[in-house]
Amino acid sequence: MIEPNVIFRLSGLRRLYTVGSEEVRALDGVDLAICDREFIAVTGTSGSGKSTLMHILGFMDSPTAGRMEFEGKDVTGISGAGRADLRASRIGFVFQSFNLLPRLSVLDNVMLPLTYSRTRVANQRELGMAVLDRVGMGHRASHTPNQLSGGERQRVAIARALINKPRLILADEPTGNLDTKNRSRIMELFSSLLAEGITLVLVTHDDEVASYAGRRIRMEDGKVLEDIQL
Amino acid sequence: MNPIGDLYTGGSNGLREIWANKVRSFLSMSGIILGVAALVSMIGIVQGMLGNMQASFEQGGGILKLEVHAAEAPESQQHIAGISPGLTWRDIVAVQRAIPLAVYTTPIVDMNYERFIARGRREGALLYGVTPEFINIGTRELGYGRFVADMDIALKSPVMVIGTHLRDKLFPNLDSAVGQQLRLRGQVYTIVGQLAEIEQASGSRERGNWQNRLNYIPATTAMSRYKGDDKVNEIHVMADRVEDLPDLVEQISNTLTRTHRGIKDFEVRTQEERMLELKKLEDSFIFSLGGIAGISLLVGGIGIMNVMLASVSERIREIGVRKAIGARSHDIFIQFLAEAVVISVLGGIFGLLASIGVLTLAREVIPAGDMISVVPVSAMFYGFIFSSTIGLISGIYPAMRAARLDPIDALRYE
Repeated sequence: MIEPNVIFRLSGLRRLYTVGSEEVRALDGVDLAICDREFIAVTGTSGSGKSTLMHILGFMDSPTAGRMEFEGKDVTGISGAGRADLRASRIGFVFQSFNLLPRLSVLDNVMLPLTYSRTRVANQRELGMAVLDRVGMGHRASHTPNQLSGGERQRVAIARALINKPRLILADEPTGNLDTKNRSRIMELFSSLLAEGITLVLVTHDDEVASYAGRRIRMEDGKVLEDIQL
Repeated sequence: MNPIGDLYTGGSNGLREIWANKVRSFLSMSGIILGVAALVSMIGIVQGMLGNMQASFEQGGGILKLEVHAAEAPESQQHIAGISPGLTWRDIVAVQRAIPLAVYTTPIVDMNYERFIARGRREGALLYGVTPEFINIGTRELGYGRFVADMDIALKSPVMVIGTHLRDKLFPNLDSAVGQQLRLRGQVYTIVGQLAEIEQASGSRERGNWQNRLNYIPATTAMSRYKGDDKVNEIHVMADRVEDLPDLVEQISNTLTRTHRGIKDFEVRTQEERMLELKKLEDSFIFSLGGIAGISLLVGGIGIMNVMLASVSERIREIGVRKAIGARSHDIFIQFLAEAVVISVLGGIFGLLASIGVLTLAREVIPAGDMISVVPVSAMFYGFIFSSTIGLISGIYPAMRAARLDPIDALRYE
């Protein structure tokens, strides 16, 4: 079965932890296909496995069992360095708590992924300024993160996720620390990325945030409970 | 992978971190600074001292000089030792006549500390009786006039060759005291020569080099006017080539055994022993200093490791972020290692600067410090290499801890 627009194909994916003597099934047989230009919201209570799914999709974690394909290649047992390479070139992360480095300027934060880029990038500053302008933060390039509001920080974080031209952006509760006005601005920004060919997977338990997405996946006890295409 | 790029980014990031934590970084550097400063200044001082000893060794004739000293006769000859006349003027004559390998020969007639009087001034200094060939042994040079001559030996003339110390004390207004007269034990001597001053690079002339306090008269004058016999204290002999030394030693020994009526109441010393002693001294200095410096640099290394471990635990979240955006474990490892190396390299540089200060001070304060080099290049080179290596080694463990962090755990860390 050849589907050229499938980015991720997960089949029978399991992730087990041992906490003390107890075995925790964070993912318990997940089958999922993620296609190009999808905007997916993953919801579920805490402990439902949505964060673990996110970590595995972001190549920060490896499954215990099952099979995982990325861009048509089997990446189930890929090495740590191989996962780092994919993080650097294909994936952008956006976190709830922004995770900007406080000592670096906004521009330096945005340019940070280029340090770990596997290909040398010329005109790093121009590129950094371009993505900052894209998220409407070009005027704050020389500030430090502490001088910005929460909404502004999240835009900078999104710019950082964009600089390596990723195929997929993963956002973990991106609006969790924001007020309503900033929340809708950030969500509009996310929606506009879709048009640029970027696929979005977003973890949230906010229904209003989830309503921006075109596909909703609800998880419970490590399983996909509901997968609705709107 | 690009090692040069890694090094550059690692170094510049390291500098930024160090600047952001100025006080902490400086404290962690202090061990390295002290270690390097101690190592380099101690080696610099020791090198200076040994250089001084080496210089005075060469001024005294170097390796080509042999010295004959009186010694205890062997056990088997004890009961007849009295038949030997000891070291005398006859030995000098015998060596000069019988041994062509002895290029220059002089007795040393030790008059000890004498009081010299001129123009109502008095000054004490050392006085020796020698022959004209003395001036050819070693590197002392005449400043003015002439040295003791053959004629002086033959005539037992009351003439003297003085050092600059006596000139300064008895004839303070004169450059050259040649032609002046002075009194010694009630007898009048004419100064016929004045030795060139051995310069002290820094410090006052008052302190001066001890060699400027030495003064000489003809050996025959010394023996006839003061000693009343023909005994000499030492005989110094100069060879032409190092290869001649073994033969020369044997020939002197044979000749003197004959003049001493078969009694071996003397010993022929080569300068080889002194050179060995000098070398031994140098080795023991290097070992003990190496130990001290090693310990202080070890302490410095532990300090750096401590600070790096603190830095790693402070920045766990940052490590998580860096990994999330694509950093490999290798990148994180290099980043923290580079920071440790930058700290130790900076510490090393500050240590070198401090050692220049210490050595400049040592030159002024230490009496014979003029041979101390303010910039001992090789010591500095080793000190720097050593401290950088320490930084590298002590950075490895913290950098490994940072590199091994799991990105998910690191991002969750509060």
